[in-house]
Amino acid sequence: MSAVFLLLRKDLTVLRRSPLLLGALLAYPIVIALLVGLVAGYASSKPRVAYVDEDDVPAVVQVAGQSFHVQSIIDEVSQNVTLVPMSRDEAKRELASGKVVATITVPPGFVGALETTAESPSLVLQTGSGAVAPRVTQQVQALVYRLNRQLQGVFIKANLVFVRLILHGGSGSFLGQPFTVLGLDRTGKLLAAMPQSKRVKTIRHFISTARAGLARTGTALQATAHPIELRQPKAKGRSWLLSAQVQSYGIALTVTFLALLLAAGAAAAERDEGTIGRLRRGLVSLGQLVWSKVALAAVVGLALGGAIAIMFGVVAEVGGVTGGEPWSRLPLLLVGIALAAAVVGAAGALLGALAREARTASLLAVLVVLPVVFLGLVPREAVSFAWWVSEFLPFAHAVRWFGAALYDTNPWRTVGVETLWLLGIGLVLGALARLAMRRLAA
Amino acid sequence: MTVLVQARAVARRYGEVEALAPTDVELSAGETVALVGPNGAGKSTLLALLAGALEPSDGAVESSVRVGWVPQRPAHYARLTARENLELFARLEGVSDARATAQELLTRFSLPTDARASGELSVGNRQRLNVALALLGEPRVLLLDEPTAALDPGQRRRVWEVVDALRGDGGAVCFATQNLEEVEHADRVLVLLDGRVVPTTPEEVFG
Repeated sequence: MSAVFLLLRKDLTVLRRSPLLLGALLAYPIVIALLVGLVAGYASSKPRVAYVDEDDVPAVVQVAGQSFHVQSIIDEVSQNVTLVPMSRDEAKRELASGKVVATITVPPGFVGALETTAESPSLVLQTGSGAVAPRVTQQVQALVYRLNRQLQGVFIKANLVFVRLILHGGSGSFLGQPFTVLGLDRTGKLLAAMPQSKRVKTIRHFISTARAGLARTGTALQATAHPIELRQPKAKGRSWLLSAQVQSYGIALTVTFLALLLAAGAAAAERDEGTIGRLRRGLVSLGQLVWSKVALAAVVGLALGGAIAIMFGVVAEVGGVTGGEPWSRLPLLLVGIALAAAVVGAAGALLGALAREARTASLLAVLVVLPVVFLGLVPREAVSFAWWVSEFLPFAHAVRWFGAALYDTNPWRTVGVETLWLLGIGLVLGALARLAMRRLAA
Repeated sequence: MTVLVQARAVARRYGEVEALAPTDVELSAGETVALVGPNGAGKSTLLALLAGALEPSDGAVESSVRVGWVPQRPAHYARLTARENLELFARLEGVSDARATAQELLTRFSLPTDARASGELSVGNRQRLNVALALLGEPRVLLLDEPTAALDPGQRRRVWEVVDALRGDGGAVCFATQNLEEVEHADRVLVLLDGRVVPTTPEEVFG
């Protein structure tokens, strides 16, 4: 049996006999992954917004003779923001203290302006200076957009009432003033009963054309109000917990954390236990020592990463969610997990050799793993420097590898490119670890 | 006499600190050499260099035979049992029947055969395991760094029996000690002081 295999088997036995360490190594990355998921999920959470009603808005407002249900609008808006009714002063205090991220004020005269349609009523939005302010502004803009859409519907309905009056005749009111209209239908009938002079015929032709045109007014008004209609049919899909990105990050984070800590600790432990000297006496070369820690990281990373991938697959299967291929792509994913864990293992061996002591190595690994992971989470558009730094670390490449393996229709190009990146990074880290092992053995 | 291990101008520095000045040492077949000196004199460094466990900063060590090494601090995996440690290092040494060899050493050194991890063994048992590990692969040269420090009289006698047997069999032994009574087991004494071999007697060094 080769020295690498013997040392790997020894390290796995040692790991198996350290249940507390094993438990912590398994639990910690999963907890971190969940926390990252929660932070990611916060992007879609509902901010708390104060709702200040200074105009005593009734539950139903009459706009252009149509009933406008304010409460149903608020309920609909509450899907995105939590509107909390409060007084003006209370809202001011809560905005200052950060308990609400924004205030929406309905100023006095809002309902009157709405009912008369004489002028556009205004809502007043105030946001805090926190990081979520732009998001709240977007969501309130969405609220105003929804209100306007509802009002457009109401106005179109009101306009169509007038159009119907013009078409068919009848009674109506405008700004509280009643009126009666003859209507085109009855006008046509009256004209038909009259002697058919050239002038009458011309008027009848106009009425006929006007009726045909006005019959299409409803559709035309709708089209004018919403040149492009966005339809959102309900469809089965992955929740954010199961999204490709979260799965990729979850597996990559777990594998990175585990592989780095394990390889760093195992490498440094050879010195702690005094065995490095024994091994150095021609039994194991420094290169083989690095390889054994890389293999340890790959095997344990594969086991845990594979288990998490299978767990995601089972959840997807049980939940009946569509998209992605959790089972058919599993072998490809496992190859990526082993590769990424091995590369991170080389980094761990390097840290362990530099630290020369298991406790220091573990602390160093924790200190290193968090920035490595968070650098990998930075989008290129946000901080390009951080993105470039992460390009030379394995985490970001592992995430892309896993994402492509799980969900790309044709993953081979991404997998190929990321494999080359990971191999390159792994070779550099491995060579550095081999050099640093001399320090461990000194 | 056949020279089994030869160190030529072997030296070791840790940064600016010179742990061992350039030193020449030869270990010949059928001899036992004692390394004597106070703490920090360079005894452990010299033995580790002769064993190949440490790279020299200068000079070279040549050996024509297998060398066994007993470091001052027991060097084995604390989470593995004594048997597992012996089997692992036997396989790494290339011993053909690792299991049988491990069993033979367990018996010879009265080491526990239960499932206890070696880190949980007594200090004496750990030191015996340390010595047993050095005998894997039937070395012709044995380097022992204060091997009897934690052993009871019976176990000390057993260690010296091993030393005498190896010497009688044409091997060589070099041991470090601060116990002047143990010097009587040696054919030759090297006194180390501040990283240098000095031409003096142990009695003069320890006053």
